[in-house]
Amino acid sequence: MASLRRFRLPASPIENSVEGRAFVFSGFAVAVLAVVLYGDDYIVPAIGVAATAVGHVVSYRERAQKRGTRRQVLLAGLVFASLAYFIADSVGGLFGGVLPQANFAILLVAITSFDLKTRRNCYSSFWISLAILYLAAVYAWDYPFGILLALWAICLAGFWAASHLRRMEARVAVPIKAVAIALAGALAIGVVAFILIPQPNLEPSGPVLVSLPNYVGFKGELENPALPLIQLSGDPSGSTNSVDLHFRGRLGDAPVMYVRTGAPAYWRGLVFDTYRRGVWTASLQGFSTVQPYVPPHLLPPAPPDNNGTFVQVFRVVRPLPGVITAAYPIQSLYAPVSSLREDPYGTFRTPDLLRPGQTYSVVSYLPNITADVLRQDPYVFNPPDETAAYMDKGNLSPQAQALAAQVTKGHDGNEYDLVMALTTYLQQNYQYTQQLGHVPGGRDPVDWFLFDAKKGYCEQFATAEVLMLRSLRIPARLATGYSTGEYNPVLDQSIVRERDAHAWVEVYFANHGWVPVDPSPGYPSLAATQFPSHWAAAGIARLIPHLTISAPMAALGSLGALAVIPIAVAVGVLVTLAWAWMRRRRRTVVAIRAAPGESELLRLYERLQRNLGRRRAPPETPLEYLLHAPLANPVPEGERGILEEVTQAVNEGAYAGRWPDRERLHELSKRL
Amino acid sequence: MSAASPELHPRRAAELLGRIEENIHRVIVGKERVVRLAAAGLVAGGHVLLQDLPGTGKTMLARALATSVGGTFRRIQCTPDLLPSDITGSSVFNQKDLTFEFVAGPIFANFVLADEVNRATPRTQSALLEAMGEGQVTIEGVTRALGKPFFVIATQNPGEFHGTYPLPESQLDRFILAAEMGPPTDAEAMEVLARREHGDPIAELGSVVSLADVVELQEGCLRVVAAPAIRAYIVSLLDAIRLRPEVSLPASMRSGVYLQRAAQAWALFEGRDFVLPDDVKLLAISVLAHRLGMRGRAKASDVLEEIVGSLPLPPLRQH
Repeated sequence: MASLRRFRLPASPIENSVEGRAFVFSGFAVAVLAVVLYGDDYIVPAIGVAATAVGHVVSYRERAQKRGTRRQVLLAGLVFASLAYFIADSVGGLFGGVLPQANFAILLVAITSFDLKTRRNCYSSFWISLAILYLAAVYAWDYPFGILLALWAICLAGFWAASHLRRMEARVAVPIKAVAIALAGALAIGVVAFILIPQPNLEPSGPVLVSLPNYVGFKGELENPALPLIQLSGDPSGSTNSVDLHFRGRLGDAPVMYVRTGAPAYWRGLVFDTYRRGVWTASLQGFSTVQPYVPPHLLPPAPPDNNGTFVQVFRVVRPLPGVITAAYPIQSLYAPVSSLREDPYGTFRTPDLLRPGQTYSVVSYLPNITADVLRQDPYVFNPPDETAAYMDKGNLSPQAQALAAQVTKGHDGNEYDLVMALTTYLQQNYQYTQQLGHVPGGRDPVDWFLFDAKKGYCEQFATAEVLMLRSLRIPARLATGYSTGEYNPVLDQSIVRERDAHAWVEVYFANHGWVPVDPSPGYPSLAATQFPSHWAAAGIARLIPHLTISAPMAALGSLGALAVIPIAVAVGVLVTLAWAWMRRRRRTVVAIRAAPGESELLRLYERLQRNLGRRRAPPETPLEYLLHAPLANPVPEGERGILEEVTQAVNEGAYAGRWPDRERLHELSKRL
Repeated sequence: MSAASPELHPRRAAELLGRIEENIHRVIVGKERVVRLAAAGLVAGGHVLLQDLPGTGKTMLARALATSVGGTFRRIQCTPDLLPSDITGSSVFNQKDLTFEFVAGPIFANFVLADEVNRATPRTQSALLEAMGEGQVTIEGVTRALGKPFFVIATQNPGEFHGTYPLPESQLDRFILAAEMGPPTDAEAMEVLARREHGDPIAELGSVVSLADVVELQEGCLRVVAAPAIRAYIVSLLDAIRLRPEVSLPASMRSGVYLQRAAQAWALFEGRDFVLPDDVKLLAISVLAHRLGMRGRAKASDVLEEIVGSLPLPPLRQH
């Protein structure tokens, strides 16, 4: 029994602070707000918040009362009922919410809020609301989620202050000087960082660029009645055979498809090889029809130096052209359609448009393509015959050709360095924009992009690079499709949106075939698939407001100095709290240092009482306890003796202030 | 927190007090607690009220205590016609040299036994009690200091109310301790009879300590440490009494001071230079019971016993 008692949790004090309880409720409300915003769910959250408010009032009023069995049973029953609801909601989608787990957690908080007596109960409530917040984070991808998270953290800190500091009778005075210094310091660091971090493609309109984050979810409508990037042509699948650089749609935030994948990759659709007067077309025509399941033996063999394969399952959520976008090269695929057509570029097409709800799976190879590996490939000036179609530089102006030669000068040791020289040149000297006006009539879009506009979108970058590479006698082609999208390594899922529609370059390498290269700023220049980082923090990082420095540089530019503010606030709050805590601690340590030997002796006394099996009753004096101590019968050698001595020492200490010295303590505890 | 004065080691105090007690027990059989209470009252510098039936040894105890310390002993037998001047003394005209001469009353002694104090008129009572409180008397404009040590043992017969003037609560409050002799056990009674077979043993009693020793003990008592925990305990005890519905007149602040002082004296008996909560517990009834006003039939000692038995001690850990 005694050993069992040792495992019991230490008692938690009853939470008397109204403010503390208000913070608990606010933390929950913030989490529920996140569910409402990102889960598109309104019924259960509203009910949950109302019930929780009532629950908080009830449990505050009855905080000092004992827990009644009947109510405990009722609450437990309600927990199971909400579990049943959760299962029903998961299966049947009762209220149409996308987060049945969050609904379950909300109901749990609502039920348990009727039983919040102690501080520990309040903390439990907080952790459940954190779980709710996490569930909402699955569907949250934007900046305001960080604000919700910060609000929740403030609630937690507020509760901590209201509960602990008040109990310690510490007054929380805001150390104004420290806060000011922390804020000023953080802001200064932010400004310095903002100045020092290279800002590619930034065209500063003034010395300081402050831009507010755009909270309006932009639902993009394409100017052309086509689908992302690709204009409709006569093909029944809705797919096209051309890309016209004169036209460009505006792309919104709406998800296009969800991809469950083992690795984040570029999802490639159609490729184009011929460029004439601003329009890309595919020169090779004709299809071979294949069964919906394409086994590996019908497809090209694994590339040399292959790392393995990974599976992607695509779920289409808005009408798309009938093109199987996937990571290339493909090992095998299955699409639940009547039949598939394979075009000469290895792209598969479905007979009809891809409708919302359509899924297909693809197994792709993951070739080992890195900078080091690619540098082994020589710069072949006379490429093989099968790439002849990819060498036509069209009507690229001499000016552009000269630029290509100039940029790659001195980088012709191997093909990779040459390609990268041109790619990084484009990335660093041209600005990415989606708000590009129409190409002026009569102008070649590439020349206009390279020498006049100096900014453009992915197709301009890709087209310019393809043609310039071709002018350097390197086979290249235009690839279209979607960039990785929002990849969540925790869920192994990418959310691909309209704005992820993308165009990039495929460059032919002698030993590696077609290698994706992306000249658009803010994208990795070598776009080959890599195994994802499953480091846990990679998943957590996207739950908190942060900036990824290397990848979307453009994001930093558009957010401006504002991007530093959440970090600055977080650092400031942390510094302030730590400072206040240290000050408090220093003061209390001086004030309430126990007399030497006091704690040790009293612990010894407690141990003695435990050994004897009965603790001293509160009204009992140590001497009375000695008289009535439940000593074993017969009294073991020295047991009364030690109790007598310890009792005397305790009396001397507590009532004369003479605590025993270290040696005496050591001797007593040894005898015990 | 200093130890007891270098002049009076607690062990010497215990030895002195042991001698006094032993000497008293030569005439008082048993009654260890009452004897110690009386001696503690002396050491604490207060005055003691003995309440019991006649013939239980109250006078004997007072006389034995006085004799043991070798002080002067006077007895005042209180009656309704006793006047204040009978206690304090008065000026008498000396016909030989035609002057007024002050004739000191019985109050000018180290030990005064005010027997059956409740038989005196309130006026006389208050004169006596004023002297007890002040340690001096003022007669005809001249202030005269009383003996040092000055110790009054008042006795009161609780069984007889006819023709008495019960002491008001304010007067009772001036006694540091009240004790009851209580009936002797059979063995004690036989021992008493045996000792009286051939005379009165008090006649053979001598002093065992000097008056200077008593003063030293009284000073030593003031140096006994009452830790903050003890003070907290006394305060919570007074609070607990105040909260009892049976109590109409709660313990005064003075009673708290007396309780602490008595506990300090009690510690000396055991050779300690610090007060234990046990001392407070042992003395609570003796110090507090006689001054509480009670409602209905409740007995103060019962209520106090209950409170002392259930009142939690302040935590041992002070920091």
